Amino acid sequence: MFESLFAFFFKYRPFIFQQGEFRLSSSSSINIAIAATAIAALFTILTYRSIRGHTRLVDRAALTVLRLGTLAVILFCLFRPVLILRAAVPQQNFLGVLFDDSRSMRVGDQDGQPRSAFVNSAFGPESSVLKALSDRYALRYFRFSSSTDRVGAARDLTFSGTQSRIGDALQRAREEFAGLPLAGLVVVSDGADTSEAAIDESLLALRAGQVPVFTVGVGRETLGRDIQISRVSTPRSVLKGSNLEVDVIVTHSGFSGNTVPLNVEDSGRILSTQQVVLPGDGEPATARVHFSATEPGARVLRFRVPPQDGEEIPQNNVREVLLEVIDRREKILYFEGEPRFEVKFIRRAVAEDKNLQLVVLQRTAENKYMRLEVDNPDELAAGFPKTRDELFPYRGLILGSIEASAFTGDQLRMIADFADRRGGGLMMIGGRRAFSEGGYQGTPIADALPVVLDSKAPEGTLMRLKVRPTPAGMGHAVTQIGKTERESADRWGELPEVTTVNPLRQVKPGATTLLMGTDETRREQVVLASQRYGRGKVLAFSVQDSQIWQMHAQIPVEDMTHETYWRQLMRWLVDSVPDPVELTTAPDRVEPGERVTLTADISDASYVEVNDASVTASVTGPSGNAIDVPMQWTGERNGEYRGTFAPTEEGIYRTRIEASKPGTTLGTATGHVRAAPSDSEYFDAAMRAPLLRRIAQDTGGRFYTSQTYTSLPEDVKYTGRGVTTIEERDLWDMPALLMLLLALVLGEWSYRRVRHLA
Amino acid sequence: MRCAAGIVLVGTLAFAETASSAAVGDPRDSNAGDVSYDGRLAFVRLRYELTWGSRGEPPWAHDYPTADRHLMKILDELSLVDPHTEDSNIFTLDDPELFKFPMAYMSEPGFWTLNDGEAKGFRDYMKKGGFVIFDDFRGFHLENFRTQLDRVLPGARLVELDGTHPIFHSFFEIDSPEGFLPPYERNLTPVFYGVFEDNDPAKRLMLIANYNNDLGEYWEFSDTGYMPVDLSNEAYKYGVNYFIYGLTH
Repeated sequence: MFESLFAFFFKYRPFIFQQGEFRLSSSSSINIAIAATAIAALFTILTYRSIRGHTRLVDRAALTVLRLGTLAVILFCLFRPVLILRAAVPQQNFLGVLFDDSRSMRVGDQDGQPRSAFVNSAFGPESSVLKALSDRYALRYFRFSSSTDRVGAARDLTFSGTQSRIGDALQRAREEFAGLPLAGLVVVSDGADTSEAAIDESLLALRAGQVPVFTVGVGRETLGRDIQISRVSTPRSVLKGSNLEVDVIVTHSGFSGNTVPLNVEDSGRILSTQQVVLPGDGEPATARVHFSATEPGARVLRFRVPPQDGEEIPQNNVREVLLEVIDRREKILYFEGEPRFEVKFIRRAVAEDKNLQLVVLQRTAENKYMRLEVDNPDELAAGFPKTRDELFPYRGLILGSIEASAFTGDQLRMIADFADRRGGGLMMIGGRRAFSEGGYQGTPIADALPVVLDSKAPEGTLMRLKVRPTPAGMGHAVTQIGKTERESADRWGELPEVTTVNPLRQVKPGATTLLMGTDETRREQVVLASQRYGRGKVLAFSVQDSQIWQMHAQIPVEDMTHETYWRQLMRWLVDSVPDPVELTTAPDRVEPGERVTLTADISDASYVEVNDASVTASVTGPSGNAIDVPMQWTGERNGEYRGTFAPTEEGIYRTRIEASKPGTTLGTATGHVRAAPSDSEYFDAAMRAPLLRRIAQDTGGRFYTSQTYTSLPEDVKYTGRGVTTIEERDLWDMPALLMLLLALVLGEWSYRRVRHLA
Repeated sequence: MRCAAGIVLVGTLAFAETASSAAVGDPRDSNAGDVSYDGRLAFVRLRYELTWGSRGEPPWAHDYPTADRHLMKILDELSLVDPHTEDSNIFTLDDPELFKFPMAYMSEPGFWTLNDGEAKGFRDYMKKGGFVIFDDFRGFHLENFRTQLDRVLPGARLVELDGTHPIFHSFFEIDSPEGFLPPYERNLTPVFYGVFEDNDPAKRLMLIANYNNDLGEYWEFSDTGYMPVDLSNEAYKYGVNYFIYGLTH
């Protein structure tokens, strides 16, 4: 509307003025007329000055101004204002037309038709726009999706591309036209760029080369009715049998207030269903789903909302995530300093968990130990490990009621390093020989603990605590002991009191308190806290008799709260604990033909990075074919090795790496990658006008919608790029000037009439 | 040898202390619980109704309180367990307080009976993780023991434990428990019965029963010279082993 009005008053559209240069172009005969006008102006001034009678000064001033204004407009016109434009010389320049050939162009939001229909119509053989462009330019057509290729015409488009890489397309087109007179590029797209790389580099190159890009946005900026699974946050791997808590972001338009089911599926089996209430349009809803990972291996989990009536894009109702479910026994060492029931019941709580191995070194008397669940007769035969090679094979370490003086200085440092350098999970549990009461103040372990160790409590200190979760603990993987946070909080409220002999009042900055307790005097006590420490994590659990949650008379026989709590605690303790050889794949989902980067982190048994290891990767495809991928030290970081490969077929690829040094195997690791056509085209598929506008503005082009694209040919003509000729466009006959002139004349006449002047 | 000498020494000390302290209530009159729960181990003796008449002192109180205290003192001296050594508890089988103490001792189960409430309470106690020592019964007492146990744990199977079971190696090494001489009726062969959870020997041992034996007698008289020192020592070994095992398994 604005453009139309502007063009009416000023003869040309704003973009033409932007492209042109304003100039006054007068000739010698005009100069004579100008001189005459100047004399007339002078005469006007002198005349109005000398007139008296019943005129006031203000009247004379107003009339002088109006008359002078009229003369100024005439003078301006006599100066012959022109707009100098550099117009492309017909057929002397190239113009690249880039068509988005991706799947998102099939969305049917272009006036009820697919976006592809607009492309075929607006840029088809019968198109007036295309004709106007082809009259002036040598057109070259490209289609782009995951790659960019030349095409003969819009009719060659298939709209089946699985990705949209606009930046790559612009770069390819620019390179194609290198050395040629290029008027600009036209991009016809919905702007739903799915590449992870930023577009800045492409735009910079175009700006440097003074290549304007004209973008035509196809589709609507907001979809009418659509539900989308926008994001799913899962860990890359979990231990078999783990209970997962996953946040799923659901966005929508047109379904405010509706409740929809969110299903989690594994190989067609529904693991969990959660009802999600959709908020206002554009507002995301976060659904927290709970399910168990019971099947081992590389699992493709589907997070899905069944398509609702009238949805425009049902394909974005499902997100698939690759989750590695590891079936192995995580080995935890529990060093207990005195025989007590806590040992028995902790062992009992996790005994049925096939993925946990709790090795217990129980001190029964001075220099007398009992070893439980050891793998062989030699394990821990000499007592608590004295070297890192002995300790670091464990993934978790629990210290029971064992005083600090039971360790040497080296052992204390080693225990802290177990979390810090090895990345293991370390936990201290309450007892008369734990925390300050065990003399840990000032030791490396005190540094690692998430709680502040005050002075030792007086002999006989005993607090009875009613335990409850903190806000952080309500939905935490360790402390959520019910199906929902509400149920969990209620269950905590029902559990009987337990006791502690270790007053812990304060956590360190950066630590998270998951459980608090209130004693008989209503004083608060930290019950469970955790913090990251180096590569690992450290927990403090101040209770000395959690077996009360199992044995108390009010707890039913079949109740599993105590078992659930300890299993969750131990699993979390060893979650994400690194191995000496670790493998990551990036990304974890690619299209066949796309390269996958394998990154290995190699350490020795003491978790010291190794830069001279021999690392081989064996990649096995879905059909059983195996290839070897060489991996080299990157030189960027100690212990980091890298290799790449490109899957050729769809399916899950298994990668196994083995690292060794002469005479020593450092370890192995496995990972999985899924090769499948990308579904990213269906997500965030609304037309992205901001991106298209930015491309146009940054390069000196212009953005159009399906309603305004018809002015494209004229705009491209005056970009001033390529082989051009000068055009002069007169401005003296602008309707605005005529109307101004009339207004001034009428204004003077009206003023005279009103003031009764001659 | 050092351990055995230590046991004798402690036993003497225990006698000296016992002689000077007052008796803790009359077990025939009360269900006296002396130890409030504080997270520490306390000796718990189970009280029950009699299935048939016995001599004056109730059978469940046999050797009380001396045996209880002596054993706890030995345990305290020899190990790092921190038990209550002077006081102990007496609970019925359906007492909610029993559940705070996951180890318990029953003397003379040959005279033992229980009502339905006690059967349920005791069943819950053992199923949730409680460990029970049955002591001092012989001959035909076994039938009553089996009968009552069957009311608590229907279908529970008594399994003879031999020297390979870990309970006999939890602190002291006892390779041949069947060779232990009982204090009386030495013509009877001691048998150590156990019941496993779900009758599965791979699972938790829920109780141990000293059939044709009377460890409590040894514990009670260890400081008097009434029982041979070496046998008293052996009896303590079993007791310590039972508690160390019960605390850790």
